Amino acid sequence: MTHATDTHTALTAPRRRRFTASERQVSVIRHLVLMSFALVVLFPFFWIVSAAFKTQIDLLMGKVLFTPNLDGFLDVIFDKTSDFARNFANSMVIGLISTFLVLVIATLAAFSLYRLQWPAWVLHSLLGWSVIFHMVPPITLAGAWFTMFRSVGLDNSYTGIILAHTTLHLPMALWMMGVFVRDVPKELVEAAQIDGAKVPQILWHVVLPIVRPGLAATGILTFIFSWNEFPVVLVLSQRQTATVPLGIGKYAQENTIAFTEMAAASTLSILPAFLLLLFAQRFIVRGLTSGAVK
Amino acid sequence: MAHVRLNGLSKSYGKVDVIKDVSLDIEDGEFVVLIGPSGCGKSTLLRMIAGLESISAGTLEIGGAAMNDVPPRDRGISMVFQSYALYPHMSSADNMSFSLRLAGEEEAQRRSKVDRAADILGLGPYLDRLPRQLSGGQRQRVAMGRAIVRKPEVFLFDEPLSNLDAKLRVKMRAELKELHQKLRTTTIYVTHDQVEAMTLADRIVVLRDGEIEQIGTPLELYDNPANAFVGAFLGSPTMNLLELEVGAGEATLARFADGEALRLATPAAPGRTTVGIRPEAFTIASEAAAGRISAEVVVVEPTGAATELLVRKGGQAITVLTPERLAVRPGDTVWLTPDAQRTRVFAGGAADAA
Ligand SMILES: Nc1ncnc2c1ncn2[C@@H]1O[C@H](COP(=O)(O)OP(=O)(O)OP(=O)(O)O)[C@@H](O)[C@H]1O
Ligand SMILES: [Mg+2]
Repeated sequence: MTHATDTHTALTAPRRRRFTASERQVSVIRHLVLMSFALVVLFPFFWIVSAAFKTQIDLLMGKVLFTPNLDGFLDVIFDKTSDFARNFANSMVIGLISTFLVLVIATLAAFSLYRLQWPAWVLHSLLGWSVIFHMVPPITLAGAWFTMFRSVGLDNSYTGIILAHTTLHLPMALWMMGVFVRDVPKELVEAAQIDGAKVPQILWHVVLPIVRPGLAATGILTFIFSWNEFPVVLVLSQRQTATVPLGIGKYAQENTIAFTEMAAASTLSILPAFLLLLFAQRFIVRGLTSGAVK
Repeated sequence: MAHVRLNGLSKSYGKVDVIKDVSLDIEDGEFVVLIGPSGCGKSTLLRMIAGLESISAGTLEIGGAAMNDVPPRDRGISMVFQSYALYPHMSSADNMSFSLRLAGEEEAQRRSKVDRAADILGLGPYLDRLPRQLSGGQRQRVAMGRAIVRKPEVFLFDEPLSNLDAKLRVKMRAELKELHQKLRTTTIYVTHDQVEAMTLADRIVVLRDGEIEQIGTPLELYDNPANAFVGAFLGSPTMNLLELEVGAGEATLARFADGEALRLATPAAPGRTTVGIRPEAFTIASEAAAGRISAEVVVVEPTGAATELLVRKGGQAITVLTPERLAVRPGDTVWLTPDAQRTRVFAGGAADAA
């Protein structure tokens, strides 16, 4: 976004500076490097999207030129044996609710830890613990969770998976929100205290509006993590609660892999994150605190 | 409006004592300036009064009520921060009326109070702007507006003008003074700028290392500093602190190394002593006469309204300020007549002066 404005002002500036030859060389090299990055990132993506429009035969023969067809998509969405629509809805429900919970808890925790006067050891042990927890591979937790959830009747339930995803993604969100909350100048909280605000009002009227871009960024990441999470749902869910990654995985059967359907399902699975990014972009503006202090 | 009473206030962070046993009575409607060098504890003391910092020992009363354990919102104070601390997502009007909104006042009432404050501060055209769309001086005024709309018992200011450029600072200083004359609200004002302190204060409190050095009206402190530190801290150019010798049997004469003497207002004990004398307490002549001391001119600084001379006398530098326009040049010799009535003898010495 900043980039776009920069070019804009450069173009409308009354006098444009000429580039010297060596500057031009540097800029050519920079663009080449960026383009090769883009290629590395985008190539697999294009490969999958194009695979989704091929027939299985075209795909296996490695055809580069092909007549696009929608069979893969139609199979994935409408075939009676396909659970994909259901997977999609499950992922949505689980992703949205767990993201909401994560944001609420992480924001409250970050505010409390960084802006209410806790002794240093409380802060450090909590943050330290959350890092350690985050470093444990989720699959090691999944087994224990499965046993726990089954004993209380939460196995194969939305509640169980939502709780698991909330727990899983809370540390990252706490760290991110911690950074954003620490960016809120202390004096603002103090000014609000003097203005008569109690803690919940400080949070609601002063801190939350300022960390909104942080909430958007953290929310998007948390949602995407939940959307893509595989090992834990693999253990915790069965057919009714299966999410998109499980649905995609199911196209790899014992003796055949339905590449086209798999690619079509993958392509569809990108959409929500993509739409979310477009929608949330306007919240992610920098410099929201400018003018607050100094 | 209310009087504020500090009774043996102390503050320590762990083993470090930042405020040590500070007692101070501030009258209803009085404008008190806390001044002192950086790190002496001015902000800490102010924040203790505001309730943003806990009190380690002593008692604080505002309007006769003990405040030690009262949260900031119930102390009847409002505070202007050095950094302004405006809510960046709220317009000037919303910034100013936030406290009223929290107190549950009606929209119409809020509006009229904000308008009145905006009138006083000349903020009318800026009420709908966000802080980032305002200049430094306008932000400063919004911060002040936020403090006045609540009609507090006590105003607290922590170096509110230090982020402004010199010219604006002078203008805002005058506005602050006018505001206080209009509202007559008890005010505690922190600064390290001695001009601000001299011009604004009813009384000045000089702090050093968390302790009160002296309390008094600006002119009292200027004319009768209790020690060399206070003498050197207030006034610009700063007070001359001369290391002189008082001989036995002549207690009102203090001699320079070259033997010439300065007459003292009060007798001093024999031996080395520190004598304070303001730069404007000399008259200058071009010839020797009784009672005059000779000095060599080192620097001449005409400012238009006055001339500042730096002269050398018996190995010590003396600053002299005179309203005359002098035709002297570095290297010339001038004769000074010190005003004996304006000399101060500091028994504690000058070693600890700022
Ligand atoms: N949280 C803290 N822990 C330990 N020491 C502190 C703390 N806060 C302040 N101090 C110390 O207290 C002393 C007074 O600080 P304070 O901010 O009140 O100074 P000040 O007079 O306002 O200075 P300035 O003019 O630079 O603003 C300083 O020496 C500072 O180092
Ligand atoms: Mg300070």
